[in-house]
Amino acid sequence: MYDFPKGLYADIRIERHANASYNVQNGEVMQNSETSTTGAIIRVYDGKMWYTSVTNDLDRIQSELDGLAAIAEPNDDICIDPMVKKFEVHKDKVLLFEGEKDVRNITRGQREKLVQGYISSCVDKSIPELKQWAAGYFHSHTLKEFRSSKGAEIVQDFQQCGVYVWFDFVVDGVTTSGGKNIMGMDFDLLAGHEREIIERRERYLDFAKNAVDVTPGDYVCVLSPAVTGMFTHESFGHKSEADFMLNDKTLQDEWVIGKKVGSDLVSICDSGDMPHRGYIAYDDEGTAPKETWLIKNGVLTGRLHDANSAAVLGEELTGNARAQDFGCTPMVRMTNTYMQPGDTAPDDIIGGVEDGIYVYNVNYGTGQGTFTMQPNCCYRIRNGKLAEPLRVNVVTGSVFQTLFDIDAVGSDLEFCDTSTCGKNGQSMPVSDAGPTIRVRRLTIN
Amino acid sequence: MERELMTSINSTSRVEIEETKIKSFNKDSRTSRSFRVYDGEYAGIQFVQGKIDIGEGYKQAQGNLALKRPYKFALETVSRHRDKTERSYTDKELMEITREAVGYLKTHFPDYIFSGALYVTKKTLKMENTAGLDCSNTDCTLQADIAIKHKDSKDITDGWFSIGQRNFDFKKFTDMADNYLTNFTNMAELPEELIVQTQYYGYLSKLTECLEAENMALGTSLLSGKTGEKIFADSFTLAHDVSDKETWFTPFFDGEGVVQPNDRRIYIENGVLLSGYADKRTADKYGVPHTGSAGFNLTDIPNNGYTNLRIERSDKTVKQLLGGRLTIVPIVAAGGGFNDKGEYVTPVQTALLCDGERFIGRLPEFAIKGNMFDMFGKNFIGVGSDDPVFNDKQILVKMDYSK
Repeated sequence: MYDFPKGLYADIRIERHANASYNVQNGEVMQNSETSTTGAIIRVYDGKMWYTSVTNDLDRIQSELDGLAAIAEPNDDICIDPMVKKFEVHKDKVLLFEGEKDVRNITRGQREKLVQGYISSCVDKSIPELKQWAAGYFHSHTLKEFRSSKGAEIVQDFQQCGVYVWFDFVVDGVTTSGGKNIMGMDFDLLAGHEREIIERRERYLDFAKNAVDVTPGDYVCVLSPAVTGMFTHESFGHKSEADFMLNDKTLQDEWVIGKKVGSDLVSICDSGDMPHRGYIAYDDEGTAPKETWLIKNGVLTGRLHDANSAAVLGEELTGNARAQDFGCTPMVRMTNTYMQPGDTAPDDIIGGVEDGIYVYNVNYGTGQGTFTMQPNCCYRIRNGKLAEPLRVNVVTGSVFQTLFDIDAVGSDLEFCDTSTCGKNGQSMPVSDAGPTIRVRRLTIN
Repeated sequence: MERELMTSINSTSRVEIEETKIKSFNKDSRTSRSFRVYDGEYAGIQFVQGKIDIGEGYKQAQGNLALKRPYKFALETVSRHRDKTERSYTDKELMEITREAVGYLKTHFPDYIFSGALYVTKKTLKMENTAGLDCSNTDCTLQADIAIKHKDSKDITDGWFSIGQRNFDFKKFTDMADNYLTNFTNMAELPEELIVQTQYYGYLSKLTECLEAENMALGTSLLSGKTGEKIFADSFTLAHDVSDKETWFTPFFDGEGVVQPNDRRIYIENGVLLSGYADKRTADKYGVPHTGSAGFNLTDIPNNGYTNLRIERSDKTVKQLLGGRLTIVPIVAAGGGFNDKGEYVTPVQTALLCDGERFIGRLPEFAIKGNMFDMFGKNFIGVGSDDPVFNDKQILVKMDYSK
């Protein structure tokens, strides 16, 4: 189909995206749109560097490929280049979202009915503190085709849909925002969440009325499953991405396989073939996803790779080369990352805290050596019970210490399928998961 | 029936650097169009990326009138074209500049590992309609984003520096690298008085949210009910300013084709709140001043939100404003931000001690806190008339240490 140049490795990724959005704000429809985009990224590697081109015009793929080949330096030994040798060759078609499950078949009427139903049942305009609200629906469907000069031919699809209801409560001139996102791969699963949304509404209304400012300091913290998911992603997940340590002796020594990096209770895994938001049939270099245990019982056991990092570090591919869309080149990214549950009941974990903080929900986090999370809802724990809601600005800890400070891991594993991870300017859908955990010390501001 | 077409043409050539070596050369060129038809009551909109026959685009937009997206406002009729391009770069030139940059960093700072990219971006946004509107805005820059990691550091990165210029001056790039890295390993002590010196765009996030006219009207803004009141320092004036020469790619028109007189609109003058920002729909709905603030929504009717907020500069330089005091320049301050009450707290993972122009040494990790009303009020020192450290304008503001 394409005439791949001699003496070079090349691959082509064609993507077709179909998106829809329906948003209502304070009763007014602010967005009701359907869009579709198609494009391709063409990459050529000559053993020294990559040359890539992005186009919306699929008729230009061959000419773009030829143009890139013309500026690269053909290399007779390209087939034995360590990275090129790593690239897997699969011929496969994995289309999970065709037919009835295809969100592209969801009509505008179905979307509007879903959203308007939630508005009717969950937006209570009689609440005096409710000053603004929003509700909406989105879906995105992606069809990807991957071909390489080594012979890979892969077609795969992916889709997401979601619905949200959001509330702004004003008490004493201060606005508290909170609500619920429900996301998944199946439109039918978006219905029937009224009780959860109303529980969120009431929780954030209570928070708006009663939250007190935290006194900054170090605290024993209990993290809800959703927060543990982000904690896992930020505190350790990013350090497991091998592209940051390619020829960096200091980091290679610091993160050597077999090193004890956390308490015996900590086991963390990344797997792209789970049916969650980070699902892939193949990564964007054509590698099949693997289940990769990053930490087992506190010991570093693996890391995440693209073909380059696997080749440089002499390790196996893991299927973690991912690109945001056809405009981007793949890099090492997490997929579905979770902390393995333990056997302690969540209530017992809270019950073991005399004075501490329960982190219920967070907005976002960052993953440097000092990782951070910005909570939007916390509670004081007094004598083993949840007490007053707390306004906390930021939770921080050191990746080199915090994993050792985990002294309880709950049995209540939950996946958070609403996460988006940012790295080097690219946003990727990921899933974070974990159970309730207790950390002996985190810094609270 | 009126017709309108918004066309966005973006092209980028990018050389990526990994571990102080050139990793890849990437090209990206895309054209997006928003076809709009108006029947006086509703708008039909069709977004297309890539090739399409213009007539077909309008035909699809006309079909979307059935969605009854409300739009009752008169279309704009301004005719103006602005091209801020100072220099065009061939791919070969970009590659040569990148090789030179990597060579400089490798030679002068061998104890560091560098990654990042140098890239040329060219953007054109055009808007035209059958009522007479005919506007376009073009800009082109060469930007260098360089992440820094000391070879002995156990962190993923230790910081970064960035410089964007329309006419790339290599000396400015090397001056910036020298300033950031020469004293990077000299450990300094935190000063007693905490004066933060930084590019201020991140500090305007909460204020931008608060100035949104719908938030102000519905009582969800910390500025609700304060129009006409003195809220910040006498020396604090804030404007939407698309004449600013350090603004990259920012069109002089908004998403409805509205052009501001002198390309400026003042929202806060000498500390007094004049108004929030509003597009035509928001202004009409809440009876507030229309400020030409429609965002560039290519897929539906315009949404409120186009701002390019700039704090008016002092007539004094950064050093003059400091009067001999030292500052803290946060290099990595990730994870915090403003809370609902307008309080700002963030950990500062990497910061440098500075005399206003030159870096003196690296500081230990700490956290800072402030409050929006104090940061732009009693603790606001000013925005210098010059551009040391960042090659861009910067705020000086007193803050407090947190835990």
